[in-house]
Amino acid sequence: MLIRETAKSAWRSLTSNRLRTLLTMLGMIIGTAAVVAVLGIGEGARSSVESQIRSLGANLLTVRPASGSSKGVRSGTVTTLTMKDAEALRGIEGVAAVAPQISSNAQLRYLTNNSSASVTGVTSAYFEAKALTLASGVAWTEVDEAAQAQVVVLGANVATELFGGAQAIGERMQISGKAFRVIGVLTEKGASMASPDDGVLVPLVTHQAVLSGQKQLSSIDLQLRSEDSSAAVQAELERLLRLRHGLRADQESDFSVRSQAEMLATMESVTGTFTALLGAVAAVSLIVGGIGIMNIMLVSVRERTREIGVRMAVGARRSDVLRQFLVESVIVSLAGGIAGLALGYGAAALLAKFGGWATVVPTYAIALALGVSGVIGIVFGVGPARRASRLDPVEALRFD
Amino acid sequence: MNAVHLPAGVAHATLLLEDLEKVYHEDQPELAVRAVDGISFAVAPGESVAIIGPSGCGKSSLLNILGCLDRPSAGRYALEGRDVSELDDDDLAALRNRHVGFVFQSFNLLPRMTAAENVELPLLYGSAKNSRARALDALDRVGLSNRAKHLPNELSGGQKQRVAIARAIVTDPSLLLCDEPTGALDSKTGKDVLQLLMSLNADGSTLVMVTHDLGVASQLGRAIHMRDGHIVADGPSGAVIEAFRAMEMERNSQC
Repeated sequence: MLIRETAKSAWRSLTSNRLRTLLTMLGMIIGTAAVVAVLGIGEGARSSVESQIRSLGANLLTVRPASGSSKGVRSGTVTTLTMKDAEALRGIEGVAAVAPQISSNAQLRYLTNNSSASVTGVTSAYFEAKALTLASGVAWTEVDEAAQAQVVVLGANVATELFGGAQAIGERMQISGKAFRVIGVLTEKGASMASPDDGVLVPLVTHQAVLSGQKQLSSIDLQLRSEDSSAAVQAELERLLRLRHGLRADQESDFSVRSQAEMLATMESVTGTFTALLGAVAAVSLIVGGIGIMNIMLVSVRERTREIGVRMAVGARRSDVLRQFLVESVIVSLAGGIAGLALGYGAAALLAKFGGWATVVPTYAIALALGVSGVIGIVFGVGPARRASRLDPVEALRFD
Repeated sequence: MNAVHLPAGVAHATLLLEDLEKVYHEDQPELAVRAVDGISFAVAPGESVAIIGPSGCGKSSLLNILGCLDRPSAGRYALEGRDVSELDDDDLAALRNRHVGFVFQSFNLLPRMTAAENVELPLLYGSAKNSRARALDALDRVGLSNRAKHLPNELSGGQKQRVAIARAIVTDPSLLLCDEPTGALDSKTGKDVLQLLMSLNADGSTLVMVTHDLGVASQLGRAIHMRDGHIVADGPSGAVIEAFRAMEMERNSQC
C-alpha cells in the first residue's frame, strides 16, 4: 500500500477523534515546549555571561592573595601582594598595563544620606585599563596620587543614591568618616558582573593611608598585549612573585593567578551544566508524552480490532498493518513536537520581553525537537503497532 | 461419500480439498476440538455451492480455511492449484487479495471510508493501477454508482451489503466466499442481494456460501451438508436439502 494512502488513512483516523488526539499530543507539546524554552534560556544565559566577561577585557590576568591554608591552618590576611610587587610585574614582557587595587566596604555619607558601598583604591591607569569613562568631572592624576589627595569618583548608582539629581562634582562627602571631595561620576554601565555602577573609586595610596591603613593589595590586574602570550606571562609572573616572596620550591604559592579565559570557560561550563540539568528534567516530560501516545495507540488497536481483521481479509499484510499504526503514532508525536516547538519559541520570546531574561533559542533546537519527537513516535508506537500486526485475522473478524 | 467430486467434463478445480482437518488446541488432548474432521471435495470454476448444517458443525472453520484466513491442521487445500498449507502469512495475504472475495453477514465496511474507498481498499493493498476507476466500475456492477461518496452509515442494510459485494468482486477473485450474506437483511432485500450474487455467478464467479437459510441454499446449484466436522451429503442442492430436511424432522421427532 502506498505511503500516501497510509498517511491519509492515519490522518482520517486521527481527525475522527479530535479531542483524544489533541490530549494525546498535549504531552508531546508540553515536553517539547519545555525543552525548547529551557535550551533558549540556557543559551541566552551562556551568551550574556560570555559577553559580560568579554566586556571586562579578554586579555586580563588577575593576581590575588591566596586565601590558602598553610598546613591546614587558614592563614587569613597575610600580607602577600604589595605595591612593590605590582611595580615589579610591570616589567614583564607582554604586559600592557598593571592595575593594583584594594577593595573594602565602607559607609558613605553626604549630608543626611547614608549608603554602604564597595570602595576600591586604584591607580589612575585603572580607568584606561577597564575602559571606564566619566559622565561628568575628571579622574585624578598622578599628582593627586603623590599628594594622597582625598578625592573620589562615584559609580552612577551611588551618585544617584547620595545626591539624587543634584550636582555631585565638587561636593564634600564622607567615607568611613573621612572627608573626600567628589571629582567625577562614572558613565552608567548597566547590569553586569562586578558592575562599577555600585561602587566608588579612590586613589590607591589614599585608600592605603586613610581608609584601610594596610599595604596588602586585594588584587593586581594585568592587561596583556595579546591573548596568545597569556601562558608565558603567567609563568613568568609566578616565577617572579615566588622569587620576591622568597618561597622555596616545595612551598605553595601565597597568591593565585586567574585569567579571564579561564573564568570564561568556568562560567560556560556552569551555565552548560545548568542547561543540561534543566533540559534533562524537561526531557522526562517527553518520555511521559511518549507513554501517553503508547497508551492511546493500545486503546486504538483494541477498538479497531475488527477493522484490522477486515483489512487483513481483503489482503493487508502484517507489515501493512504495522506501518499503518506506526504512521499514526509518528504523526501524533511529530505534530505535537512541531506545536511544542512553536510554543517553546513563544515562551522564550515572552520570557525575554516580559521577564527580562536573555533567551536565545539555538537553531539546533528545531532539529532536536523534530528528531526527538519523531523517534518517540516510533519507539512508543512500535509496540502497539506490532500488537495490531500480529492479530489473528479469524479472531479479529470475530471481535465485537 | 467423501470421494472428490468433480463435475463431468471439468478437469480444473478452483478449490480442491483432500482429507482436510482443523483441530483446535491440538497440543492439549483433553481440550482438543476436531472442528473439521477429514473433508474432501472440489469446486469447479463457475459453480455455486451452499454449505449447510447445524451450528457447530464446522462450517465456519471450513470457511476460514477456504478464505485463506486460517491454515488446515492436516490434509491439503489447494486454491487455484496452489497448496495453501505451504504458504507464509504474506503469501496468504496476497492470495486473499487476489483470489478471494469475502462477503460477511455484518458487512464489515470500514465506517470512516466512503463506499468507493471501501471498494478501493483491496486494490490499494494489491498495489493495482487505476484503483479508483476500477472501484467505481465495481460499484456500478452492483448498481450503486450513485452512492460512491456516501459513508456506510448513510446507506441502508441492502446497500451496505452491495458495497461489500462490490469490494469482494473488485479484484476479480477466483472465489466469492459468502458467510450468511442475507442473514442481517429483511427478506425482500435479502432476495435482491441473493439475486445479485446469482447474477455474478452466472457471469462466471465461483460462489461458495455458508448459510442456515435453506431457501437461499436451494437457489444455488450444489449443496454440501456438514455435521460434526464431516460431510453428510454433497450433491445437487435440491436433493441434499430434501435429505437434510428429512434428517432434521427425524431428529426432532426423536427428541
